[in-house]
Amino acid sequence: MRKMLAVARKEFRQIARDTRTLMILLFVPAFFLLLFGYALSFDIRNVHLAVEDRDHSAESRSLVSAFVNSGYFDLVATVDAGGAAPGQRTLISRLRAGAQTAVGLMDRNDVRAILVIPPGLGRAVQTSRPTSVQVLLNGDNANTATTVMGYALTIIRSESARYQPAAAVPLLSVEPRVWYNPELRSTLFLVPGLIAYIAMITAVISTALSVVREKERGTIEQVRMAPLNAGSFIVGKTIPYFLVSLASALVIIAAAMTLFGMPMRGSWALLLVALSLFLVGALGLGLLISSVADTQQVAFQAAMLASFLPTLMLSGFIFPISSMPRFLQIVTYAVPARYFLIALRGVVLKGSGIEAFGSELVALAVFAAAVLALASARLRRQWA
Amino acid sequence: MNSITVTDLTKRFGDFLAVDALTFSVREGEIFGFLGSNGAGKSTTIRMLCGLLKPTSGSATVGGIDVGRDPEGVKRRIGYMSQRFSLYEGLTVNQNITFFGGLYGLDRARLDARRHFVLEMAGLHGREKMLAADLAGGWRQRLALGCAILHEPSIVFLDEPTGGVDPLSRREFWRLIDELSASGTTVLVTTHYLDEAEHCHRLAIIHAGQLAALGTTDELKQVFAGRAIIEVQAANPVEAMRLLDGMPEVEKTSIFGIAVHAVLKAHQADATPTLKGRLEAAGVSVTGMAPVRPSLEDVFLDVVEQAG
Amino acid sequence: MRRVGFLIWKELLELKGDPRLFGIVVLAPIIQLFMLGYAATTDIRDVPIVVADADRSAASRELVARFAASSNFTIAGVVTSSDEIDPYLGGGRAWMALTIPAGYGETLGRGEPQTLQVVADGSDANSTNVALGYATSLIAGYAQDLVAQRSPQGAALPGGIEPRVRIWFNPRLESRDFMLPGVLALLLLVITTNLSSMGIVREKERGTLEQLNVTPLGRWELVVGKLLPYALIGMIDVCLVVAVAVFWFDVPMRGSVALLFALCAVYLMSTLGLGLFVSTISSTQQQAMMTTTFFFLTPMIYLSGFIFPIENMPAVIQWFTYLIPLRYFLVILRSIFLKGVGLEVLWPQALALTAWGLAVLTLAIARSRKRSG
Repeated sequence: MRKMLAVARKEFRQIARDTRTLMILLFVPAFFLLLFGYALSFDIRNVHLAVEDRDHSAESRSLVSAFVNSGYFDLVATVDAGGAAPGQRTLISRLRAGAQTAVGLMDRNDVRAILVIPPGLGRAVQTSRPTSVQVLLNGDNANTATTVMGYALTIIRSESARYQPAAAVPLLSVEPRVWYNPELRSTLFLVPGLIAYIAMITAVISTALSVVREKERGTIEQVRMAPLNAGSFIVGKTIPYFLVSLASALVIIAAAMTLFGMPMRGSWALLLVALSLFLVGALGLGLLISSVADTQQVAFQAAMLASFLPTLMLSGFIFPISSMPRFLQIVTYAVPARYFLIALRGVVLKGSGIEAFGSELVALAVFAAAVLALASARLRRQWA
Repeated sequence: MNSITVTDLTKRFGDFLAVDALTFSVREGEIFGFLGSNGAGKSTTIRMLCGLLKPTSGSATVGGIDVGRDPEGVKRRIGYMSQRFSLYEGLTVNQNITFFGGLYGLDRARLDARRHFVLEMAGLHGREKMLAADLAGGWRQRLALGCAILHEPSIVFLDEPTGGVDPLSRREFWRLIDELSASGTTVLVTTHYLDEAEHCHRLAIIHAGQLAALGTTDELKQVFAGRAIIEVQAANPVEAMRLLDGMPEVEKTSIFGIAVHAVLKAHQADATPTLKGRLEAAGVSVTGMAPVRPSLEDVFLDVVEQAG
Repeated sequence: MRRVGFLIWKELLELKGDPRLFGIVVLAPIIQLFMLGYAATTDIRDVPIVVADADRSAASRELVARFAASSNFTIAGVVTSSDEIDPYLGGGRAWMALTIPAGYGETLGRGEPQTLQVVADGSDANSTNVALGYATSLIAGYAQDLVAQRSPQGAALPGGIEPRVRIWFNPRLESRDFMLPGVLALLLLVITTNLSSMGIVREKERGTLEQLNVTPLGRWELVVGKLLPYALIGMIDVCLVVAVAVFWFDVPMRGSVALLFALCAVYLMSTLGLGLFVSTISSTQQQAMMTTTFFFLTPMIYLSGFIFPIENMPAVIQWFTYLIPLRYFLVILRSIFLKGVGLEVLWPQALALTAWGLAVLTLAIARSRKRSG
């Protein structure tokens, strides 16, 4: 026990001496939360729209106004008739296609959607004959395209309903209610995810080099000589980083609450428990990498591989896990951020108690214990 | 003919004056030693002379080239071996030689000849394929020296080249330095080992960035002209030292191993029996007390004390 | 010039001596590509929904069966009252809850319209919208089917404007086609910037950098010799990633592969230049790593348009993103893969990328002097 503390003290002193690193670990994460919380959003506004109105009737202009007045679209261009269709992809045809053609606008990402109104729309609508309009969507960002499509369809359908005789009331209609985030503010969704991501990266990065650096320098030989078992060494190393990471994470959470209005509907104690288990697991992962790698470079690349993109992609932060193929869902069981996000969202947004995410806490504890045990075992084998 | 000329060379790091107006010259083929404690400014000086560090003021000419104005020109003519024996651990002995030889532009024939020379000199025949990381201290040291002189430079800078190496290897290393010097190469070596310093043709003692003394070993020992040093062997050296310190004829004392060196003031050489008598009267049994020739260590301590 | 050759030879030798490093920088992109290729999807499948069926009639069970049969939903549980849905939503075991009131079956039998309540977990705003949309469509479709069953004629409505949607570049709305080219850009950044910054700092730490500085090796030769091997690794990664993306994931490659490689090389100038720059401000590998990760990689991953579209960002931030080379490269990659356009459209991005690369390299080289102080 005392030896463990001795290791912890030494590590702590080393951390404190590298001021630049310490400052980075404490404050940069919070800064990122600010930056990303402010900058990032899935809410799509000001969609650039171009219109090709071949009808020029009151009805067509009304349709265009409906788009503009919806608040989602900005009319930025009108399209020249006679532009090449996407099928004609030769260099010559593209060069000939002027800047204002549909092809040109879409190629340059100047617009996300083009509304094409056929001639005769006005008359068709007045005489109650069915007609159609074309919506061309820029599909390069599927997420955005889906949302824009939703907006466009809604607008067109409500415009359409104006010209139809009183439509029959549907037999079944839906009354949607949204819990926890009634205004569907994407910030409330993003911020917990950001917290999990930043905390994970900070923790893994800070420990990933700690052991391997000593291996490279040879100072680990001295530790090995001391009557200290590998387990105590590992745990001793974890302690100071845990304190720093915890401090850093609390700063982030405080920032999230004061600056982004993230609510706190649950219990602080539960949050701390979940946060601590998560951090220990992340730190442990870093230490595991550190004990397996021989050089700092390998340790770093491995840390990136294990945390940078997977935490972003596989934790349920951006893409829902339930939509992933089965084998990948199994992989996500090894991503601690997955469990932490559920617990975090549960406590912060839903005010849930431990019965709601007890199994997630257990998973976090198991993960933490497993990585620490593996790291110790690995080191022990190297020392034997 | 001077290989290296240094005039008022100064280096300041912020407020800290690391090297303070050094002035000295080194003759062709000379083994010139830089003696000083850690932090005295030896490495900083060498770095400036090698074109690795820009001087704050002053000038230096190495091999006829002004270091301040043409650092790159200097690099073609010199060899440098750092404290850390900077070799590529992941490369074999042969690969290290090939690499450094390539950097100095040695063509195939010359590289082969030099490789043979270095392997011979370092005793590394049969170990060509070993990784540098796997070599023991003495061999790494000699390999590092070898890589530094592949291009047969006329001037070689060695910065604490014998750190952490066993005494046998150290002696072997100095034999190599002697050979280099005999073949006309100028060697400037920094050290804090006094026995090595004795080996140099001339010595500069550096203290707190300043040149505290300069000359051959004998010239340096002249600092004790007129002052005798006696070595006292006693059963209780600490007590003996304390008593001697209080005596008017004694300038200063220091412990040398288990004996005490007492520097007598000018013209006090005859006081030896008197001092011995006083010690014995105080109850300190003296087993030996005789004048000794000043050693470099005595010189160093004296010079440093005068400078400080 | 020959000296550069020796330097490159030495770097490659050292790399060969560290097979783990080589393995990881080659394997890591592949692994991550697979992960992300399969993870990135906008289709919301198997949304867990809990049903509070207070009616328990044949009609309500038929509705529940509709949901169960849909690939968009999976039934997380059926309870009897809406009070029981809390633990499901609170613990994330269900995202949505459908409440079927008592008397549903009877009201339906009488042909009277009624409203069903659908509760959604709003903490995942993105998916909520989509999931609600599915639920609404499913119920509307079911309702229409019921009406059609009773009176086959009365279903169609006269007049009205029918929207016809056509999606360019990505008709399947495959998120993957958008993400994978982005992954290439990101991986190149992460791998090459770190390799170069840590690789150079490691020589600083060991003292061999000083030894190099004392030789006649020129400053430019040193930089080229150090960075070229990493550029080589970068290009190998490009080949691997493009191959996997195109042949395994069927990401379309409509543009010129030659142009892709050429612009990759330009992009590598900025990533390697960045690594070099970081090495001039770090004295240990740990510092190099921290600086690269925190000050450059993390902001770039979020603000470059990799996942979050730049056009959604506040104006101030959008201005800032002009400084991020990854931003231009993402546009280039996505355009070449999905749109098949060339320099005639991409010249502004190519120009910006080149300018950026040259600027960073120049700055970094200016800082890596052979003589300090």
